[in-house]
Amino acid sequence: METVNTNTGVDVRKRSPNQILKKLGLVLGENFLYLILVVVFVAPLAWMVLGSLREEKEIFANLYPFTIHTFWPITWTLDTYLDMFGISEIGIMYGLHFHRFMANSLIVSVAVVSCSLVFNTMGAYFFARLDFPFKNFLLIFVVATMLIPFQATIVPLYIVVSKLGMRDSFWGLIVPWFASPFVIFALAQFIKEIPKELDEAATIDGASLWGILWHVILPNAIPGIITMALLEFQFIWNLFYWPLIVINSSDLQMIQVAIANQTTQTQIFWGRTFAGSTLASLPVIIIFLALQKWYIQGVATTGLKG
Amino acid sequence: MWQYSLLGGYRDFVGLQHYQFMMEDIYFWKSMKVTAMFVLMKVPVQVLLSLMLAVLLQKETRSSAIVRSAIFTPVVTSVVVVSIIWAMMYHSQLGLINSILSAFGIPRQVFLSDADRALPAMSAMMVWKDLGFSMIIIMAGLKGIPVVYREAAIVDGAKPWQIMRHITLPLLKRVLMFVVVTQTIFSFQNFVPVYVMTKGGPMDSTKVIVFYIYQYGFLFQDMGYASAMSVVTLLVLLVVSMIQMRLFRTDVEY
Repeated sequence: METVNTNTGVDVRKRSPNQILKKLGLVLGENFLYLILVVVFVAPLAWMVLGSLREEKEIFANLYPFTIHTFWPITWTLDTYLDMFGISEIGIMYGLHFHRFMANSLIVSVAVVSCSLVFNTMGAYFFARLDFPFKNFLLIFVVATMLIPFQATIVPLYIVVSKLGMRDSFWGLIVPWFASPFVIFALAQFIKEIPKELDEAATIDGASLWGILWHVILPNAIPGIITMALLEFQFIWNLFYWPLIVINSSDLQMIQVAIANQTTQTQIFWGRTFAGSTLASLPVIIIFLALQKWYIQGVATTGLKG
Repeated sequence: MWQYSLLGGYRDFVGLQHYQFMMEDIYFWKSMKVTAMFVLMKVPVQVLLSLMLAVLLQKETRSSAIVRSAIFTPVVTSVVVVSIIWAMMYHSQLGLINSILSAFGIPRQVFLSDADRALPAMSAMMVWKDLGFSMIIIMAGLKGIPVVYREAAIVDGAKPWQIMRHITLPLLKRVLMFVVVTQTIFSFQNFVPVYVMTKGGPMDSTKVIVFYIYQYGFLFQDMGYASAMSVVTLLVLLVVSMIQMRLFRTDVEY
């Protein structure tokens, strides 16, 4: 076995019992810390999901004393979900139709992401590759709009949307997000990474600007585009403030507002609240867990280059 | 600066009347104070904790990757869901937190209905939610520090604490500045938890400025005043951000 030459001059092959114990202690301590961290960060969500799979009475019955059954259901049941979707009697009685809200959110999210893919990639391409008059000014302008807190722009945006007659409709939910400065900026960073030689090679082969976009940029920017699409989908799905203001009829409401409104009523139905929250959060969580690499990469890159 | 109503749509030019009113509006000042307290409770705690976690979880082992995912999961969960779940966790009779406390023999606590506890409770929840985000950014910054610097320091006999203080932290200054500034901006905009959990109560102790603006603009239908307050909030935010950027200014070059 080779000796590793560390600068401390200690021969690593021979370890005293003290050192072994110390190492063991460190490893155990570290893993214990990991365990605590995972529990702290996952417990509330686990409580939510598991709570949606049991009967309401059972939730309350098992709160005190605190046992494993505070979390883990004794009898598993999907009744609450049947209620939420308006399939069971209770659901029909209360007029619940959560599938409608999920569909709304899904439609709007997909629509926004699709539009964004078209407009934002074009915008990013122009910012990254072309020089046009006032380019720097526009760039600063775009960045500045990112810094303005959303709350400050809500009122004027609302007035504009009202005047255009888009209030209380899907268009009102989709149009403000046609082009997002954040996405344009981030995508421009991604595109800048693509070597210009590829562009030049394509030009020599007779490609126009659009041709370059289509054949050179797009294939290479796909990681960045996927990341942005994921972030935007999550953003729209989780959006609350804007749908709250823009939509009045409950049929068109997006899911986050729907569950919030349900909760703030006088009587809280715990089972249903859990189920609704699970429905409102699981899609994004599942996408996240499956495609983590893209998320982390996207967050880190925008953080550094921002 | 116009008197404007959502429904009626009538407008009179009232000039700076809104701003005058604002100066004397005690509720406006109170909610600014509440917002400031919330930001001060949330941002330093969050940045410190995420720094510690980022350093702790740097290694590329499978277990640390699992922990990182766990910490980031609240980030992708919507604020609404997080607020609802934590509101239920904080519940004085049926809440999970009280259930856990009772296992340790601690009597049940009131969280959200207590004017002194509601805001810290909300900060704790938001720290929980946003830790993953700042942690990831700091970790990316950590990766940008060339390993050779740390190795050279070890050769010179530096202990981990010294390495942290003299090498890591200065080189992280830009990243930390980004995190502090953006988290401050986000915390200023903190609306959903207030709406879902407390609606500004108890006794206005959680009425942050954006909630107050929402009340005026959309419940009292006074868009003009709401806009004026938004402008002032924006200005305050700008000033705060500039101060922060000044403080974090770094001339360190690689």
